[in-house]
Parts: sequence; structure tokens; C-alpha cells
Amino acid sequence: MKKILLVAGREFVATVSTKAFIIGLLIMPMMIGVSIVVFPRLLNPRNYRTQGEVAVIDPNGRAIADIRTAFSQERIAERREATARQVMNQAPPEVKELAASRATPQMAAAVASATAGSDLRLIERPANADVQKEKSWLLEPGEIRHLALVVVHDDAVRSKDGKSYGSYDAYVPANADDRAMNEVQSAMQEALVNARTREQGIDRATAESLVKVERGKLVTVTKDSERNTIRGINGILPIFFVILMFMGVMTGGQSLLTSTVEEKSTRVMEVLLSALSPMELLAGKIVGQFGVSLIVLGLYIGLGGALLISFALFGLINPWLLPYLGIFFVLSYLTYGSLMVSVGAVVNDMREAQSLMMPLMLLLTFPFWVWFPISQNPNSAFATAISFVPPVNSFAMLLRLTSTSPPPWWQVWASIGVGVVGVVVAVWFASKVFKIGLLMYGKPPNVATLIRWARQA
Amino acid sequence: MNEAIQLKSVCKTFGATKAVTDLDLVIPRGALYGFIGPNGAGKTTTIRMIMAILFADSGELSVLGHKSALDAKDRIGYLPEERGIYRKMRVGPFLTFMARLKGVPDSEIPGRIKRGLARVGLADAERKRCEDLSKGTQQKVQFVAAIIHHPDLLILDEPFSGLDPVSARSLREMVLEEHARGATILFSTHVMPHAEELCDHVVMINKGQKVLDDPVADIQRRYDPRVIEFDPLDPQADLSPLRSIPEVEDLERTDHGCKVVLREGSSAPSVIPRLAIAVPPARIEIARPTLEDVFVKLVAA
Repeated sequence: MKKILLVAGREFVATVSTKAFIIGLLIMPMMIGVSIVVFPRLLNPRNYRTQGEVAVIDPNGRAIADIRTAFSQERIAERREATARQVMNQAPPEVKELAASRATPQMAAAVASATAGSDLRLIERPANADVQKEKSWLLEPGEIRHLALVVVHDDAVRSKDGKSYGSYDAYVPANADDRAMNEVQSAMQEALVNARTREQGIDRATAESLVKVERGKLVTVTKDSERNTIRGINGILPIFFVILMFMGVMTGGQSLLTSTVEEKSTRVMEVLLSALSPMELLAGKIVGQFGVSLIVLGLYIGLGGALLISFALFGLINPWLLPYLGIFFVLSYLTYGSLMVSVGAVVNDMREAQSLMMPLMLLLTFPFWVWFPISQNPNSAFATAISFVPPVNSFAMLLRLTSTSPPPWWQVWASIGVGVVGVVVAVWFASKVFKIGLLMYGKPPNVATLIRWARQA
Repeated sequence: MNEAIQLKSVCKTFGATKAVTDLDLVIPRGALYGFIGPNGAGKTTTIRMIMAILFADSGELSVLGHKSALDAKDRIGYLPEERGIYRKMRVGPFLTFMARLKGVPDSEIPGRIKRGLARVGLADAERKRCEDLSKGTQQKVQFVAAIIHHPDLLILDEPFSGLDPVSARSLREMVLEEHARGATILFSTHVMPHAEELCDHVVMINKGQKVLDDPVADIQRRYDPRVIEFDPLDPQADLSPLRSIPEVEDLERTDHGCKVVLREGSSAPSVIPRLAIAVPPARIEIARPTLEDVFVKLVAA
């Protein structure tokens, strides 16, 4: 046992003290930080400046006044603000507070920029303009982009049959921007509804108040407290757990592979085997890299927890999920780690390891392919079946456990039992292959040869 | 039990290749054995089986009284043919790690490292990274790692390969020091003069089979070439009178004189005075067979 711990300690220190590990450890939080801070700004619709011209043909002229108003810069800015407020209203109170306290100057600047900078010019064409001729205008080169030609239907404002209304056709050039088209759509919708209500002698505000039903306030009730339900989070939570587990397993497994390949290629393996048995070496390596994986997992869980606490959202996580994350992580790590270390033992360098790693990587990434169908229907026959197929069962069961419809408890513990059997088989296989492969150099074996080794040893 | 190593009818095959066949070997405690043979003879395979790194297909094996070296690894020092070292580690931590694996008490490790490195002339290398050392220097560090726990049995696989003459001499002296301390030593080599200089006893294998297992003196006696090296006092002297001596079978010319080949059953000491009378000598000496001669003779056979 002492020798196993000595090997484990060396493995752990040798891995965590490398620059590559420290940089790798920081990259993920940095990427998350960048995605939180930068991407919303890049994708913020209010920062998008609609620039160009939209030509309108209104054959009977019933809607042109409303179209003119709807395309004014003031109305465009007001609609964007209304959309932003709608999104913000759905956010938890803490996020609203943060947005209000931190981002107000930037938001104000963005709004000001969007309002002042929106450069959408409406060009009114004669009511009897030839649509075919006008289409060629879209393709004319010029400094100002020609965004769309809008042709309002005859019955867009006044219904022909008293039941349904027409709409409009929009002709656009090949490189039309979806955001500009959305801008045109929202302006046209506003304009046509205004025209129709006026035509009918109805006050639009009254009509809107009659048909509009605000989304109800969702409150999640727990034994200890109540909190606002955050829509969407429940769907995303499973994949976050799977990513966490993947990061932990991948970091440890990859380190196991590279350290074994390095020890073999630098011929240090035989020196080690003069001091301890292959099984002690295997166990020491797996334990050492398990510590590395725990560091990664612990750091990311800690960071995630700190973020949730700072936003007072920790209640989103059911605490009993964490022990299950731990159990399934241990099962996955031992299974994949054992298989990866056996790959490391039979190859001469990392290049040769790639072909043998391919099936393992496919298995490891399998949960990401099936995340959506499982999270949509956690108790389907497919989801239930793969919960009992090692080595993907741990990821599959974690997806189901963190979903909105957790599986029955007997399935969870049966999956853990299957996982334990998977671990035993993987460790047995690794120990056989490890023992034979360590001192074998030359052409690396294929998968069939590995299986034959395991059966013979 | 007085044997450090005992092998009985040990066999090992790799696929269709018979690496070791029915090998019997007994190495008494405190002995210094040379394990010689041409490349590919099975020396490293045998050593790896002794170390329980490889396992025999059949036969019995005991090391320091145990059925497997796994039970006595802390009492065995091993320098493998394929030198291995953690390139990114510093020398001190590497030796500390190896000493701990071999069960050396923590309190004794720093002192043993300092003394060991000083013995191989690397007193200032403790803080250097292994990858910054030359190949020969790395080999010295590995030798220190092999003996840091004062092993009862020291197994060295081709220990002198890749060393310059000065380093080889230094290593040879350290091997003899370990032997003087009481360690049993088994070292393999295909460089015969090394075995001849160091060993009491030689085991030779060829194509996986033992072909020789005797003390060096016995081998030299047994393979007596019946040759007297004769250099005349006068380099221009006529050597034909030597042929008239009945025991002389043949004369082979050399740079400074000749080799006198005696008939089978002749006694060299009784022939020497008559040779000296026939032609005045500057040097007259009974030729001893070298291990290299024996090696070539056995391997060629």
C-alpha cells in the first residue's frame, strides 16, 4: 500500500506542477467568463445597427402612414427596449439587480447608441409602381444597402371576406441579414395592426390589453423555501453535470495515458518494475490521477457553486445530486482511466495511441450526442436501456437524474451496480494488458490482440 | 538456504521464439557472477525473470530464499539494460522517490543520496534536472538509485555499455565495493574483459541455453590452449631449433617472435627450460586463454 501511495503521490505532483495542467485548469473558467461577459455583448440585438433602405409599395395606401411611423428611429428604439425588458423580466431578481447596479451606464450607452445609430431609411414607392421593375432596385450597387422591397397586400388592412387579412411580401437580396428582416417584420406587424384597428374603429391599446395575457409567475416550492422558477435552467442543468464529469474523467484519463506512454518511451518503466509489481504501479497511477481529477472537478464545482451562491441561485441544485455526481464520477473515472492506462502501456508514443483512443473517445463523447433526446424524454426506452450499458451508463443515468423526470430509485442503484461490474471488468482487463504491454516495444497491438492478451494472461 | 538465486529448468518463449530453454543456475550468496553471452542469447530475458518483471513459462525460480523477487524487491538492486529516468525530475527528488520505493527510512535518505552522488563524482548534481545530464551521467545516477538501499543482491544488465573508460573504471570499483560490503552481484555483459576482470565465476548462455558455468580459473585451466609465447633475445634469431623439441607440434610467427604450440598431453613447465636452451629468450610465458577465446570457441561451435 505504501508503494502505491508513493507512486500516486509522484503521479499527482508530476501532473499538477506542470504549466500545461495549470493553464488547462484555468482555460475553462476563462472561457466561461469570456462567454458570460463578451458573447452577450457581441450578440446583444440592441447593439446591432440596422443600416440601409427599405422600399415600400402600398397599392391602396391604407397602411402607409402607419408604416412610416413604425419605421421611424424612435419606434425602432422603443421596440428594442421593450424586447430587452421582456427578457429581463424573466430573469431572477438577483440578475436584475446586477444588471441594474453594474451595467446601467453601459446599457444606457447601448440604448443611446442603438436609438441614435439606427439608420433605417424608408423609401415610399408610388402605389401603382411596377413590382418587377422595383425588384431590380434591390440589386443596384450603392453606398447605402438596399435591404428589402416590401409590397403590402390589397387586403392587408381591410379583409375581403370579413374573416382573414392579407399580409405583405418582402423581396430581399441574396445577402439579407436576418436581424434586419426581423426589424422589418416587427415594424410591418406594428404598422398593419395599427391600420387594421383604426379601420375597425378599435383602440389598439384596448385590444392589446384584451388579448394579452402575461406569462404567469412560476414559483418553485421546496420544503424549506420558495423561489422564482427560472425557465430553461432545468433543461440545461443535466448537460452541465455531464460536462463537469467529462472534464474530470478526461483530465485524469488523459494524464494517465500520457504519463504511461512517457514512462514507457523513456524506459523508466523497467526501473519502476524493479521496485514494485505491475499491479502496484497500475494502482498507484490510477489513484494519483484520481487526485488530479478531483482537483479539476472540485475547482469547477466550487466555481459553479460560488457563482450560484453569489446570484442566490444555489437552490437550483438539489443537494442530493452531488453525492450521485461523486459516485458516477468515480465509476466513470475508474472505467475510462483503466482503459486509457492500458492503451498507454501497449503503445510506444502518443501518435500510436491515437488509433486505440478513437473507440474510447467515441464512448466518452457519446453522452453529448444523446443529451438532447434523453433530457427531453428521460424515461424513454432508449434512455433507460443505455443507463445499464457500461461505460456510458454513468453519464446516461446522471443525465436522467438531473432531468425534470428523474428515474425510479431502483434504476439508479441498479445502474450503479452495473457500473461497479463495469469497473471490475475494466480494471481486470487493464491489469492483464498493462502487465504484458509494459515491456513490449515495436508494432502496437490492435484491439483484437489486446482482448487475446487479456484472456491469455 | 545459501543461494541468492536458484533457477531450475526455467523456460521462456515469445511466440515461436525460444528465448530461454531449460536453464539451471545457482548463484551462492556473496558471489560475483558474470552472465555472458552474445546479443540475443537470452541474458536480459533471464534477468527479467529473476526480477519477476517477466514470468517463466515453466521451471522453478527462487531469489533470496523467496519464490518470487516480488517478495524481496526491497533487497534487490537493479540496473536494467534499457536505462530509464524521469527526465523532468531533478536528481535529488528522483533518488528520494527510488529510495522510498525501496523502503529506505526517510531520515536516512538525504545522507545516502549525498554519499552516493559523491561516490560517482556528482556531488553538485542533486538539484539538476535529469534531462540536463549527459547519458553517461544519467547512468551514474541510475547506479546510485540501484544501490541506495544497500541491496543484498545487485543485478546489473550491461552496466558498462555507453560509459567512457574513466567512468567504466569508476563503476567497476563501485561494483567491487558493493561486493566487498557483502552483496551478491550478477552482471551481464557481452564485453569479455569486463567479466574477466571482475568475476569469480562466469555463466555463459547462447541461444537460450547454458553452455558454461564455472569459476574463471577453472575455465582458463580447462581451455588451456597449450601455447607458450616466445620472444627471442635476438629478434633476428633462427627459431627452427625450437621445432626439434619433441613436445613442440607447431610454431606460429608473431611480431616479436612466435607462439609455440605443444602436442596434447605435454607439460608446458617442463618444455620451457628446453626452449630457453634452444634459443635464448627475451620473454617466455605460458599463454592463458581469455574469456573472449572461450566465448568465440563456444559460440562458433
